[in-house]
Amino acid sequence: MRWLLLLCLGLCLPAWSATDYSLKPRQIAAGTWLLEGSTENFAKANGGNIVNTAFIVTEAGVVVIDTGPSKRYGEALRQAIAATTDKPVIQVLLTHHHPDHVLGNQAFSDVPIGALAGTTDLLRQQGDALAENMYRLVGDWMRGTEVVLPTRELAAGTLTVGNHSLRLLALAGHTGADLAILDETTGALFAGDLVFYERALTTPNSPGLEVWLQDLDTLQALPWKQIVPGHGPVASDAGPFVQMRDYLGWLDQLMRDGAARGDDMAEMIRCPISERFAGISLTRYELIRSVSHLYPRYERAGMKRVDTHDPD
Amino acid sequence: MNWRAYGLLLGCLPWLAMAVEPGKDPVPSVMWAFYHKQLLGEAPFVFDDRVRLLAPPFAEDARQVPLEIDARAFAGDVVRVLAWAELNPLPKIVDFQPGERVLPWLSVRIRIEQATPLRAAVQTRDGLWHVGSTLIDAAGGGCTAPSVVRTQPGWEEHLGEVLGGRYPRGDSSRLRLQVNHPMDNGLVSGIPEFFLNQAQLLDADGQVLARLELFPAVSENPNLGFDIQGPGQTRLVLRDNSGNAFEAAIP
Repeated sequence: MRWLLLLCLGLCLPAWSATDYSLKPRQIAAGTWLLEGSTENFAKANGGNIVNTAFIVTEAGVVVIDTGPSKRYGEALRQAIAATTDKPVIQVLLTHHHPDHVLGNQAFSDVPIGALAGTTDLLRQQGDALAENMYRLVGDWMRGTEVVLPTRELAAGTLTVGNHSLRLLALAGHTGADLAILDETTGALFAGDLVFYERALTTPNSPGLEVWLQDLDTLQALPWKQIVPGHGPVASDAGPFVQMRDYLGWLDQLMRDGAARGDDMAEMIRCPISERFAGISLTRYELIRSVSHLYPRYERAGMKRVDTHDPD
Repeated sequence: MNWRAYGLLLGCLPWLAMAVEPGKDPVPSVMWAFYHKQLLGEAPFVFDDRVRLLAPPFAEDARQVPLEIDARAFAGDVVRVLAWAELNPLPKIVDFQPGERVLPWLSVRIRIEQATPLRAAVQTRDGLWHVGSTLIDAAGGGCTAPSVVRTQPGWEEHLGEVLGGRYPRGDSSRLRLQVNHPMDNGLVSGIPEFFLNQAQLLDADGQVLARLELFPAVSENPNLGFDIQGPGQTRLVLRDNSGNAFEAAIP
């Protein structure tokens, strides 16, 4: 029996080490650390680490921005924080309810987890289905992961934590409830998934691209020094805003033109993608998804009521 | 099947079809033989990539999967188009019979329950079935998910409302229609089958342009697209399995 146990352990260990996130925090501003994910899609090879999370070490303790795609990621993040500072984690801020940003919550269940009210509602409605889909896409990395709802409701305003003044913005373009955080102390703007950079944006809960474009105006007008996108590299120039506007504008026009031609969704997903987006990863994949999410609205706007009488 | 029956069957078929070699199935399927018997009555067929069956590689929303059936390579020669999703609990999608003025092209949205091969079998005048195939991946659950329509208060009052449009494209024009209907497939607990099962496209004089039989694999609030030739108003007449009739006129 003991031999059997050892044998099992021997077989399991390599599998375990293959699902190690190896998170390496990188300092991007005073007291501010980034954990940059890849710009790939969810896959069994990356454990869902396709997202940027961050933490700010203040005098009063550590503020964590997003908890990652799985329980195991959350735990690895917690360890990475402990290896960086002696200060305790005192607050988690979630930018929105998507699974890659919130499924690490279990590792922070002893800390207030803050989110916009809309984010909590969305996570309550969709969380289990989102987590289930992550198990399908990412596999064993997800083991033990469950949805933990936020415990503290956030609203727009200023949140002072130790020596850092965090301006919270309640926006909507990506999911209907999107929190952006400007650290007024360092000038770092944590844009959540309102900004994707060099990675195609995702639209499953977007209230509309025009809302998103307005949010970009709001964000760009802030006194930021660095932009931390939800996905993709950090920038200290307006590059991410320029790219986002260009891409959103293109996507909007593509669907307007398609609806005016009477194209069906199956035709829309085959539309050519402009050469200028060649450097952005996953554009075809996300076009297929965005057409599914958004094109029905464009179609309906272009059609008229044509039913006549009830022939009975 | 005994030899006499076999001989009888062959005797009924045109000589051309007898010598046809179906070729290799382009998708991995455990169900082809079953559907060949069930839906095509074991009639001669070929796997034929000239029947283009176009769907996304994965279902972003398994309740609304866009599907485009393009048999324009056989324009003028198509008798019937059958489409189905092999691994669906209710596999059949449409039985489409385009007339002279309607191109053998159709767009429709469907529900899928899991990753599955999709098929469109196109029968030409010589009796041969040309089978187009594709595969789609899915997280699943599209057929058993509760209807979105029924969550909207007062949906009954909007039953049978039709949105439509006509879009000129070269020498033909695209007709797009979206019908308000829950298309209940009987798989959601406590809700019996209630779906649109017949549609006819008529010209201004009431002549039939195309006939369509719909099955509950078609998504709720069905979306249909046709390409038709020639001018003139078109009417769509629909009927559901409860006997409700609906009508729309597209200028």
